[in-house]
Amino acid sequence: MGKQKNKFLQMVDFLTERMPLHNLSFDHIVNEKEVPVHRMSWAYYMGGLTLLFFIIQLVTGVFLLFYYQPTVSDAHASVEYITFFVKSGFLIRNLHTWSSSCMILCLMVHMITSFAMKAFARPREITWISGSLLLIITFAFGFTGYLLPWHQIAVNATKVVLQSIEEAGHYLPGALAALPSYIKEIIQGEVSVGQATLSRFYALHVVILPLFFMGAIGLHLLGVQLHGMSPGVDTPPREKERFFPVFILKDFWLWGIVFLVVFVLSLCLPFESFYSYPLFEAYNALGSTPEGIKPEWYFYFVYYPLEILPFWVIMLGMTIAQAGIFFVPWIFKNTSRKVLSIIAWIIAAYLIIITLFGQLIYEVFKGSGK
Amino acid sequence: MKLFINIILLSLVYLTPAFAHPEFQRYSKKVSGRSVNCAMCHRHSDGPEGVKPGQIGSLNQDELNALGLARQALKPGAGVKSPILNEFGSSILNQLGKEKILELKQRPELLAGSLSKTNDLDGDGIPDAEEFKDGTHPLNSLDGHPWKLFKNNLGKNWFDILMIVLATGSGLYGLQNALIWLSIKARREE
Repeated sequence: MGKQKNKFLQMVDFLTERMPLHNLSFDHIVNEKEVPVHRMSWAYYMGGLTLLFFIIQLVTGVFLLFYYQPTVSDAHASVEYITFFVKSGFLIRNLHTWSSSCMILCLMVHMITSFAMKAFARPREITWISGSLLLIITFAFGFTGYLLPWHQIAVNATKVVLQSIEEAGHYLPGALAALPSYIKEIIQGEVSVGQATLSRFYALHVVILPLFFMGAIGLHLLGVQLHGMSPGVDTPPREKERFFPVFILKDFWLWGIVFLVVFVLSLCLPFESFYSYPLFEAYNALGSTPEGIKPEWYFYFVYYPLEILPFWVIMLGMTIAQAGIFFVPWIFKNTSRKVLSIIAWIIAAYLIIITLFGQLIYEVFKGSGK
Repeated sequence: MKLFINIILLSLVYLTPAFAHPEFQRYSKKVSGRSVNCAMCHRHSDGPEGVKPGQIGSLNQDELNALGLARQALKPGAGVKSPILNEFGSSILNQLGKEKILELKQRPELLAGSLSKTNDLDGDGIPDAEEFKDGTHPLNSLDGHPWKLFKNNLGKNWFDILMIVLATGSGLYGLQNALIWLSIKARREE
């Protein structure tokens, strides 16, 4: 009983240290909170930018909901209707598409810089875990949202991803081998990607994931407010600035500038213009599959290695990476910021190279164009 | 007489092969590096042959007659509208005529130069002939060479952009003053 009580008290102590709710006061946030100023200070703005893009996603997503029809017969036509016939529909849709990519980009930069700055260190473990959760939810947003327009690239790329889940079964022993097929069927809802899949992805994209996201971001922002910004560098910075109003004003001005850039991009540059037009024709199960079926750019870091290396290598790597990301505060507890920065640079270099030159690398490995 | 003409037209439709011209498609794909399908000129993305909407097997009597007339448009300026071609396909037919098109099959690189430099069916600011070379759809205003589209749209939407810059700037200026006021007030109360 004594031991149990001790464990319980330990848990209370752990949570009290991680969630010092006494800091949650107007006075603390407005008058006391400060932000360190150093060479990595720019990284403090990445989380805010991610939040800005989430807000844009939320607002534009609600507008799209007014017209979007989640049925295999009408989904593509409704997206075309939004794009070509609804007043400002093209702008809203393009804002949604551009800001989804920007959100994922900012989130990745935020994760990498937070890692390099050791922002996960005690007592900020919960902030890191909630951030990791947000990363996974955001990728899930990207994956589920990709299918909704029901065009060729959407349906075919979803099929490829779901197929790769099933393939994982070949590498699992005994009864576990059937598990990936079972998971695929649950996600897919029927024998092939069809109405049940679209309904599930729609429900996930517009209801379930936003709810999870709100919960996770609430916890994340609470952690940031309670502990303040992490020092970020080894030697305590001499200079600091007030969070309110100095930092928050800079943050809002940055939001304004970034919003304007994304607005101009959305107004003048259709995201789809980077791809071949046959990929955006309505999906036709009986028609020929157009060339160039790929997932969105932010999945290239898994997609190209999957095309080049043995499946089990990627599966193992991804499982370790996904599980490992939640344990970063404990795995790298005693690692110096210098070493963390080197690791962060390696991760960033990998992501940039595979995203920009993945196709080229693939062609070099396979010896021909895909 | 009408029956006689119909019989002649129907014979033309059925006895002559379907004129899909993959040479142009292959050329466009080669120079642009983009994937291009039959939907660039045809009503159906799988081309003219078949029974799906926009393909020969799906045409009714009136459409078959129209197809027959289109196939007789050997010279430019016939003003025909083929039921198996989209607006861009028909535009090529009317600008060049069938004879010239068949001639260009051997040298598809000359097609863009033979077309009007100003025709822009989708109104995206990029002429159809350029869109053919870029491998983008001449009837889809959202599909075009990204840089060309960006430049054209920037020119078209400058007033909207100016307004949103002013609105955002004013909003942020107001917010800045409100936050500074709140901060001073909070410090005074402290």
